[in-house]
Amino acid sequence: MAEPRPLAVSPAPHVVGLVSSLRLTWTVAGCLLPAAAWGVFLFRVPALEVLGVAAGSALLAELLTSIFTRRVTLGDGSAFVTGLLIGLLMPPGAPLYVPAAASAFAILVVKQTFGGLGRNWMNPTAAGVVFALISWTGGMSQWLPVPGSAEGSAAVAPLEALRAAYAAGARPAGPLAVLSTQGYAWSGLDGRVLGWVNDHLLSWTGMVLPRGTFDLLIGNTAGRIGELSVPLLLLGAAWLLGRSVIRWQVPVAFLSVFCAASIVFGGLPLGRGWFAGGLYFQLFSGSIVLGAFFLATDTVTSPLTDPGRLIYGASLGVLLFFLRYFGALGDGVPLAIVLGNCLVPLIDRLTVLRGRARHREAA
Amino acid sequence: MKSRSLARRGILNGNPVAMVLVGLCPAAAVTTRVIDALWMSVGVFSVLLLTRVCLSLLSLLRDGESAGPSADLRGGEGAPRIRWLGALLIASCLTASFELVLLAFAPEESASLGIYAPLIAVNCIVLDRVEPAAGGKHIPTALLDACGLGLGFAFALLLIAAVREVLGAGTITLFPAGTFGGTIEIPGLSSAPARALGYAGGGLICLGYLAGLSRLLRRRPVPAAEEAGTA
Amino acid sequence: MKKRPKILLRGGVTPPSLPYSAPAASGIVNASIPGFALIPMLQHAGQPARCLVKAGDPVQEGMLIGRAEGASSANVHSSIPGTVVEVRSCRGADGRISPAVLIEFGGEFAATGRRREPTDWEKLSRADLLGRIQAAGVVGLGGGLVPTHLKLARPAGRTVDLFIANGMDSEPSLVGDAALMREKSREIAAGMRICQAILGASRVVLAVGDAEEAGIAPAFRALFGEGGGGFEVAVFSSRYPQGHEQLLQAAVTGTTPVPTGNGAGAAVDAGCVVLNVATIHAVYEAVVLGRPMIERVVTVSGSSIRRPRCLKVRVGTPVGELFEECGGLTEAPAKVVLGGPMRGLAVDSLDFPVTKGVSGVITFDHSDARVGPELPCIHCGACVDVCPWDLVPTRLHKLIERGEIGQALSEGLASCTECGCCAFSCPSRIPLVESLRRGKKGGQARHG
Repeated sequence: MAEPRPLAVSPAPHVVGLVSSLRLTWTVAGCLLPAAAWGVFLFRVPALEVLGVAAGSALLAELLTSIFTRRVTLGDGSAFVTGLLIGLLMPPGAPLYVPAAASAFAILVVKQTFGGLGRNWMNPTAAGVVFALISWTGGMSQWLPVPGSAEGSAAVAPLEALRAAYAAGARPAGPLAVLSTQGYAWSGLDGRVLGWVNDHLLSWTGMVLPRGTFDLLIGNTAGRIGELSVPLLLLGAAWLLGRSVIRWQVPVAFLSVFCAASIVFGGLPLGRGWFAGGLYFQLFSGSIVLGAFFLATDTVTSPLTDPGRLIYGASLGVLLFFLRYFGALGDGVPLAIVLGNCLVPLIDRLTVLRGRARHREAA
Repeated sequence: MKSRSLARRGILNGNPVAMVLVGLCPAAAVTTRVIDALWMSVGVFSVLLLTRVCLSLLSLLRDGESAGPSADLRGGEGAPRIRWLGALLIASCLTASFELVLLAFAPEESASLGIYAPLIAVNCIVLDRVEPAAGGKHIPTALLDACGLGLGFAFALLLIAAVREVLGAGTITLFPAGTFGGTIEIPGLSSAPARALGYAGGGLICLGYLAGLSRLLRRRPVPAAEEAGTA
Repeated sequence: MKKRPKILLRGGVTPPSLPYSAPAASGIVNASIPGFALIPMLQHAGQPARCLVKAGDPVQEGMLIGRAEGASSANVHSSIPGTVVEVRSCRGADGRISPAVLIEFGGEFAATGRRREPTDWEKLSRADLLGRIQAAGVVGLGGGLVPTHLKLARPAGRTVDLFIANGMDSEPSLVGDAALMREKSREIAAGMRICQAILGASRVVLAVGDAEEAGIAPAFRALFGEGGGGFEVAVFSSRYPQGHEQLLQAAVTGTTPVPTGNGAGAAVDAGCVVLNVATIHAVYEAVVLGRPMIERVVTVSGSSIRRPRCLKVRVGTPVGELFEECGGLTEAPAKVVLGGPMRGLAVDSLDFPVTKGVSGVITFDHSDARVGPELPCIHCGACVDVCPWDLVPTRLHKLIERGEIGQALSEGLASCTECGCCAFSCPSRIPLVESLRRGKKGGQARHG
């Protein structure tokens, strides 16, 4: 009889759950693809270049550190997701050194300098985008027009256009109304669809959807590559939630607190009084949906317990409210997340050990 | 302690900015341009040197040649306060002199350094040497110690400034001389530099990397003789 | 009678039902008598028994070959008739080395196959009952292996008013207890009454999982009578580790589980004693039939087993021989685990004997044994969610890695029962249990 193979001896437990970190990360990458595809569909080659450079730069940076640590970690997918997300948060016309530098900064400085995967305390993607926003404000405002927009109009993202309009002294009114009076170029498709809806569906209510509602809904405006199509982003987010890849506490707390603050206080800085903030515009422009479901849910930089996650999400909502309405750097989401990350160790300290107090008594 | 290694210690192992992490305010604030860092280094170097020498002379006069390093402990209740008062006075005078020199020879530089020139008087590196100055009355030792620290400070500041200005502004600013305007523009970088490095946050990141890399490089084993000497 | 399934476990996991488990309603088959039996002197928690035989001695089935010695010890009996070949050193499941008697089968069976006269136990005094249990070498079969006479001995001045019969199999894919309850309900019920009498408990609770409830509970209710003798059946959801002694006790009494070390004293402090149903069955056999503990029910399962089933195995049988009883192996296993998948011990040889503590044998083939690369902790909090003791395994792991055992102990490291839920749920496949175990040993070494 042949020599029997030796039996493997390993410690208990001998079974493991189905979830693995590899699967988690690559699932997130997969769920970003619909939104990325929409961005590429709208902006063609420039968007593809930006995404490619961002992801490639991140992978290259990770490879560089692999030389020092003598362990190749590209397979765990986190560098790819970081790079992809940075690319999605770039305007499509950004000069290519911007996403390259942002990705390199994110991986080399924010992630690897602190010890690599799991050891960083600041979200690398958010920090990389903030770095780019501060360093190259011009480069980060290189918007591209969507196909089908009016000839000769300079492309501006709706949020930035709104800020410019208010700075120029537009009279207080709803965001979409302000943009329309400023002559923001909504697409022809938007005009046709809204015309039909207003005439046929809503005529009996007397309600009129302002120009731009449909464009914002499907993401047919200028903007960052990945933030445009909220429905596709929500699709990806629903998949992630359904598969328990991400937890609902952070995004739901984030969005609800921001929405509440927006509705209640949003009108005040614009001189419109209480309970007059524009919620639809805030949610569908800028990267708040992308940030809430894909950036803020990064487990490494969020709290460990569910109550902690709710507090974190709420603090992000408050921070974003102030940054959107009173700040001026981009759309505030990456900066809010970076600031929120600074609070996470404190939140963990308060929530993690609180429930374990009886062990301290027993010890 | 060998005098040679004392000086070397100030530059490398005991570098105030990179290793001991004192004097960080100017290190982060005035390193946006190389020329600012240069003038700051000159200021700190001269003030540190002269303060140290003055303090050593003073303690020599007060306690005499025979007193050992623990003389300050036997100096009585009032001695430390007198010593600190003296140190601050001396440092302030020297700093004021330096400011006047700056105003005279490089007035735009004086404006550029702003509040950080007068703050040399309370720079931690200068004040860090008040206690040892009381004990170490050997003038040549004091001189070498101060030289080492001053050079170390200059080394660190210039390094940080070089990185911050090249990457953060795309230029290198030096003394204007003749037809040379003083600013070297780096092609490519100067059109789109990473301005984040020009802000305080970027400065702190550079500082952090300097400190980290210094510690990493210090891991090299120290030769036994030198270690015995500096122990 | 309370019947609703309770989920009174904070945390815990429901491991996916292993596709190669023994069928739920499988019966118990007697395994063949082994040709050689290796019987260690240490099959219980405490000090090893003193070996009474030497090479060449003839032994009978059920003969005392090791006498209990020490504060916590139990008798050891020979499970087969025959001759002692040698007394050698053998390493037990917990790593401790003790003498073991190797017996070669031969001769006649003294007790097997013969009718025994049942003793009327109700006429015996409490001391007599405990004496019979002690003489028979009965130890806890639910995993703790505490000598049962010590657990049932009520310290002076303490009252025990709750006796829990733990019918929940301690680990997923182990079905021995359920099978025993189905086939031997009368004997187990009698054993429960014996234990109740010894303890003087007013309440007796039989804890079963909701999957087994339909098949088991009616028989027991009938045996005890409706509302008779303070008996009730408590049904729990079959979540792991609900069957753990302290967690079960807390769930039955409705209190917060108290994390304590193992040992008989811990539960008695709370006025409650928990015994596994297999142990109770052994108590019945010891008291009524006078049989020593020489065999136990073992669940054999695994992907390479042709017919997974429950076997009644003689103590000392080499593990490898059990596979033939189950139709043999389809391929050579990559890993053989004694016990359950969450806490079992992987053995390096198929000659390892079945001892009183072996509740199951599971084989793993190469694809099951492969776990995946270990990645850094991604701070996901899964381990925190599943820990039944409210610990923070990831934090304890990091503290232990840094050598801060004292801090880890103050955060509850000593409460860890190594259930394995954290390591099971970790997506980064960090060996948390191994790390916590190392930390606990380090803490013991430091604090004695």
